[in-house]
Amino acid sequence: MAVNVAAEGSKRSTWDSIRQEIGRLLETLALLLIIAFIMLPIFWLAMTSFKPAEKTYTTDIIFTPTLKNYEIIFSDGTVLVNEGTERERGEIGRNMVPSVVNSVLVSCATVLIAIPLATIAAYAFSRYNFFGNRAMLIWILTTQFIPAIVVAIPFFTLFRSVQVFGEPLLGTRWGLIIVNMSIVLPYAIWMIKGFVDALPGEIEEAAYVDGANDFQVLLFVSLPLIRPGILVASVFAFIMSWNEFLFALIIGREMRTMQVALMTTSAMRGVMWEQMAAAGMIVMVPIFFLAMFIRKNVVDGLTMGAVK
Amino acid sequence: MRKKRWVPWVLVGPALVVVFATTVYPLLAALYYSFHKYDLRKAPQFAVQFASQLGDPLVSVDWSLVSLNNYARAFSDSRFINSLNVTFWFTVISVGLSVIIGLLIAVVVQKNGRLHTLTKILLIFPFAVSPALKGYSWRYMLNEEYGIYDLLIDVVIVRPINVVIELVNTLPVVDIAPLSESIVWLADRFWALFMLAMSETWGWAPLIALMFVGALGSIDEQIFEAARIDGANRLQIFWRVTLPLLRPVILIVTMLKTIFSLKMFDQVVTMTGGGPVRATQTINYYIHQVGFVRNLDIGYASALSYILVVILTLLAALYVAKVLNRE
Repeated sequence: MAVNVAAEGSKRSTWDSIRQEIGRLLETLALLLIIAFIMLPIFWLAMTSFKPAEKTYTTDIIFTPTLKNYEIIFSDGTVLVNEGTERERGEIGRNMVPSVVNSVLVSCATVLIAIPLATIAAYAFSRYNFFGNRAMLIWILTTQFIPAIVVAIPFFTLFRSVQVFGEPLLGTRWGLIIVNMSIVLPYAIWMIKGFVDALPGEIEEAAYVDGANDFQVLLFVSLPLIRPGILVASVFAFIMSWNEFLFALIIGREMRTMQVALMTTSAMRGVMWEQMAAAGMIVMVPIFFLAMFIRKNVVDGLTMGAVK
Repeated sequence: MRKKRWVPWVLVGPALVVVFATTVYPLLAALYYSFHKYDLRKAPQFAVQFASQLGDPLVSVDWSLVSLNNYARAFSDSRFINSLNVTFWFTVISVGLSVIIGLLIAVVVQKNGRLHTLTKILLIFPFAVSPALKGYSWRYMLNEEYGIYDLLIDVVIVRPINVVIELVNTLPVVDIAPLSESIVWLADRFWALFMLAMSETWGWAPLIALMFVGALGSIDEQIFEAARIDGANRLQIFWRVTLPLLRPVILIVTMLKTIFSLKMFDQVVTMTGGGPVRATQTINYYIHQVGFVRNLDIGYASALSYILVVILTLLAALYVAKVLNRE
């Protein structure tokens, strides 16, 4: 009887170890599949941006890399030789430098305006008990469900007629910055509030006891402590306004941000994929670094802390 | 406590004003427009040559109260009904795929290991790719002549299935037509919508996986251990332990993704342009067409967008109730 059990046991353990090996192999395969699923579009876009034009319309992965696509999207259309044939082939300069400038300025200004407002508001929501505190927070949460097109329509008609320095706001950076607030500010308030909530209140109490007033406590005690949170929220807000497309299309218009400039890479034969890819790299690569930086906070930010 | 009562209002005030001005004002204004005839078509070249027309407030517009006409028109507008339909199916497909694939990724990635950690880090990448760019890159990769996805689908799926079909066809009785290798994905009504949803899934499934990884991490390891000791295998643990424990998070994520899917716009513009034959015109895209591209019918576009607002408000109410319940 005892012998029988032992034999049974050893049989099971070899069987188990085989099964475990197979399981591990399947898991590695699954991981590789996930990596391929995530990275293929990014890899393919990156590769295409270095392809010579004639290789773009093949699935070849062996080619001589070139920087010509980058040169084309950034040149203003006058520097290329063989003017005639290149124009015919759609290889005229796309002049995207202003678009990069627009994207950077709009995103930076959005962050610089939204984050200070969000910081002091988030601090008050977290630390003070005042009438309507909770209700207002929930109201701010629900503003993220308003479809952007509803915000865009009235601002389109408003900015058409509002003149600043004799120019309508429509199609300007300021116009786009204002409407960007509608998506960036609610997220920033919720995100920073999360960081303030996580901060123990004792240090602030001690400062009050020492005779500091409300603003001194906020400025000299709390603010330095939530600085990392403010930085994360700033990066998140930057990514949101950088990747924003609908407002850029309707309100930004001829003041093209990079997202809209992607659409200018078409020619007679359709989208010039190698040029689109090069512009896409400019759009995407800086954001990769920023996203890596706030990797651990993206989920909290997107869900406004609902998933924990 | 030395805190003063007026201080929070000073701190909250500026942000409240800005949020109010950029969300409540447009909501009220759009509601007002939606009851009026407000059409900017008086300047026909507007859509093409907008720059020169924009600054001219003198362009006269017909501006009369039409009560519910715009709404009545919406429900007899076959294109709008079509866009509701498209949005519904897009939402079903993209939410379903994103949540299921996200869950699968989370379960695989969740453990400790070098490759697991690497994959977890890579999960953030699709979030960094802007939706507009996503649309373009998928359109390029799905091209029937030089698209890498098209090639992969042929090699990995279509050809092996065709080999099997051929084998079956050698039997005397059966005769099955082999699958086509040259589907033009974005020219087919069903596939265009499906691939649009796939591009959305590519962006969201990894993020949803990250949400689930966080939720899985907060589950006590002892629960899994207990299930294992009781002799449950992996599949049983997944169905009987992991899934029930994740249910509240799955529900919240699904609602959130549904809300985002209903607002889909960017990829439609860059990937399909609403085509083929309106098969991928989502509500947002159709409103954009009505308001800014084909017509400049602001009143009608406002009415259409208000229908979307009502749908989203209902969902948002459910979502907020659910999230608050959890706290």
